[in-house]
Amino acid sequence: MPPRLPVIAHWACPSTPATRVSIFSFRRCASSSATSPEIYDVVCVGGGPAGLSLLTGLRNSPITSGLKVALIDGQDLQKSRLPKDASLGSFSNRCSSLTPASVRNLQEIGAWKHANASRIQPYQEMQVWDGVSDARISFDWDTARPLLTPRKPSQPTTIAYMIENVNTTSALLGRLEELGGVATFSSTKVESIELGKDAEDLDLSSWPILTLSNGKTLAARLLVGADGANSPVRSFAGIESRGWDYGRHGVVASLKLEGPGRGGAEHKIAYQRFLPTGPIAMLPLPGNMSTLVWSTTPERAAKLKSLSPNDFIAMVNAGFRLSTADLEYLHSIPSGQAEEIAWRGKHTPINEAQIPTNVVEVQAGTVANFPLKMRHADTYTGERVALVGDAAHTIHPLAGQGLNQGQGDAAALVKTIEHAVTTGQDIGSLLALEQYNSDRYAENNAMLGVVDKLHRLYAVESGPIVGLRSLGLRAVDAMGPLKGFFMNRAAGGA
Amino acid sequence: MAVSLKRPFTATVSAAVRSTHTSLSLPASCRCFSVLNRPPPNYEGHIPLTRVERLGLAAGSGLLSFLDPRRGDLIAAFGEATAQPYFIYKLRDRMLLNPTGRRILRDRPRLTSTSLAIPRLRQLPSNTLGYAYAAWLDREGVSPDTRAHVRYIDDEECAYVMQRYRECHDFYHALVGLPVFREGEVALKAFEYANTGLPMTGLAVFSALTLKKAEWRRFWDIYGPWAIRNGTKTDDVINIYWEEELETDINELRARIGIEKPPDLRTIRKAARDKKKQEKEGREHAAASAV
Repeated sequence: MPPRLPVIAHWACPSTPATRVSIFSFRRCASSSATSPEIYDVVCVGGGPAGLSLLTGLRNSPITSGLKVALIDGQDLQKSRLPKDASLGSFSNRCSSLTPASVRNLQEIGAWKHANASRIQPYQEMQVWDGVSDARISFDWDTARPLLTPRKPSQPTTIAYMIENVNTTSALLGRLEELGGVATFSSTKVESIELGKDAEDLDLSSWPILTLSNGKTLAARLLVGADGANSPVRSFAGIESRGWDYGRHGVVASLKLEGPGRGGAEHKIAYQRFLPTGPIAMLPLPGNMSTLVWSTTPERAAKLKSLSPNDFIAMVNAGFRLSTADLEYLHSIPSGQAEEIAWRGKHTPINEAQIPTNVVEVQAGTVANFPLKMRHADTYTGERVALVGDAAHTIHPLAGQGLNQGQGDAAALVKTIEHAVTTGQDIGSLLALEQYNSDRYAENNAMLGVVDKLHRLYAVESGPIVGLRSLGLRAVDAMGPLKGFFMNRAAGGA
Repeated sequence: MAVSLKRPFTATVSAAVRSTHTSLSLPASCRCFSVLNRPPPNYEGHIPLTRVERLGLAAGSGLLSFLDPRRGDLIAAFGEATAQPYFIYKLRDRMLLNPTGRRILRDRPRLTSTSLAIPRLRQLPSNTLGYAYAAWLDREGVSPDTRAHVRYIDDEECAYVMQRYRECHDFYHALVGLPVFREGEVALKAFEYANTGLPMTGLAVFSALTLKKAEWRRFWDIYGPWAIRNGTKTDDVINIYWEEELETDINELRARIGIEKPPDLRTIRKAARDKKKQEKEGREHAAASAV
């Protein structure tokens, strides 16, 4: 598709262009008139991990670094950065598990070195089990190697990296600062998005024009929606997002354990137990800290939040140890869970080696909950619009894939834009963006489907399905190569 | 022996077992051992069985107790061999979901003639559960001390549940007023099956096939339907703390758990017998007058 503004561009900016595309961008010439909007090549709404990763990728690439880019976020981006002197005794309750593929991408765009490394915890093993039948699967790269292949000491042992979301965004913001060249509108809301007008000198009729709360208007050659699950950009583009609510809430908290974990500080283990109400997961953070993600019914989430710290700690310990019948009763009493759980612990056979060590402390103010949803946009692209991250899809947290999918989207969109720039296409055209949609849609859809099915499979409390799923889990556990395949998929390909 | 299931002891035993033999913390169905290499018991009196042994015990004790229903020991063994896996755990879970059931599991009370102080029960007002229970014991000529100890249930807590079910059996009799001979026992077993879900109680209903024709008809018309209806709709009888209900009005207790008292079996049988006798006398009389 030919660029739409060649004549005007030459008229407006006769100076030597930095790249082929920047010929057609207006630099500051067009904004001289108060009524006409400031024109950008890429406007990204939303400064979360996905949006920031996209902008960093664009600024980092020599091909796309000439694009004029803007970032808009309703929050104060500087405030959401990790303080330099943050103590290792307290962690944010919003943590994510970054797959090796996501970390590789962050390294490539130069952001990883800006992260606070002492607050990142790689883990080497994962224990997942069925809360009804106790069938168990353990993941580590050593047991998952292909048949008859010798053990390779050089093989990486890390499954994924636990990192606070605020650390990820801080790293990306740090890298963006270093690269420079992003017009940042922080603490600025998007008041409206509408299509431009076909003025005499400038046809913006297919361009999204954003009106900001500070009175500015921006025209976007490509508008990127990284603005979360209720994306205004998606609504502007008229893209439907379909799916369902799980009727479950995720309860999160930052916890302090008895010690560094069963494998010591060098071999950290992530745990997840599937209860019929939803999985409970304990993921390692540096030192004795851990982060909790407990998917449960809204009633139980409210109950957990209302408990005293002592009872809350006991309930988390019980979540990994006691029977579903006990847990049901414990959620029905107003208080005194700790005492009740101490008694039940004596009569429940527990293999301490296979479950996380006891929680001894919950960090004050970190117990929070949020509703769980499954959503998938019909498409990720529209005319001059692309969606990344939660704006495109929302996933159940049981596989820890949400943030990684957003990173994958950002990397794929950068690649697509690079290709469009190299081949001289209009980066906002549907044709140029098509590659992004086809790269990501099927992959994300498969992951959403698998995670949704897992949720459904483990929501069953009794009957033959419990037996079958336990058999299946044990079978996969016994088959190293098959397990390796699943681990590769979860690690983001490779 | 009465203390064998008390908590402190078993807790220490199972804790020791847990720490030394990790394989023991697996569910019973996963365990592998042979007759020559039997693991240590999980509680005093426990006899760990292999799957083959368990099947054999179930088949043997089932067959023999069908042939001779007065063999309480065989019925007890049959109950234990068939309750595991699954059923006894489900019954325990139902106790765990109920505040009173949990209290029973915590206290682990044992029902014996000494713990119940039977003579004191006889002094209670006649509308109380305690009085009805003592009266029932006297009428049927049985004692609460005749209950066998649980041996073949692997989990120590589930073993207590089985013991509790067994010891409470007489209270179920008193609650519904059914006698101990075969006809009453079959009706009560049907009720228990609908209420507790233990396979032995369900299988015991098959002994209804050995009933006499008139008894069979009564079971089919009156007691069977009563048992199913009441067993399913009443609260779990395993969750009644009998020791605390001894002075409760028995009708109030029945109303609370939602159970209807079936027609008195002894009265029906007596009426049937009298009728038969009258008919017989009538026939003899007629025959005599004809001569």
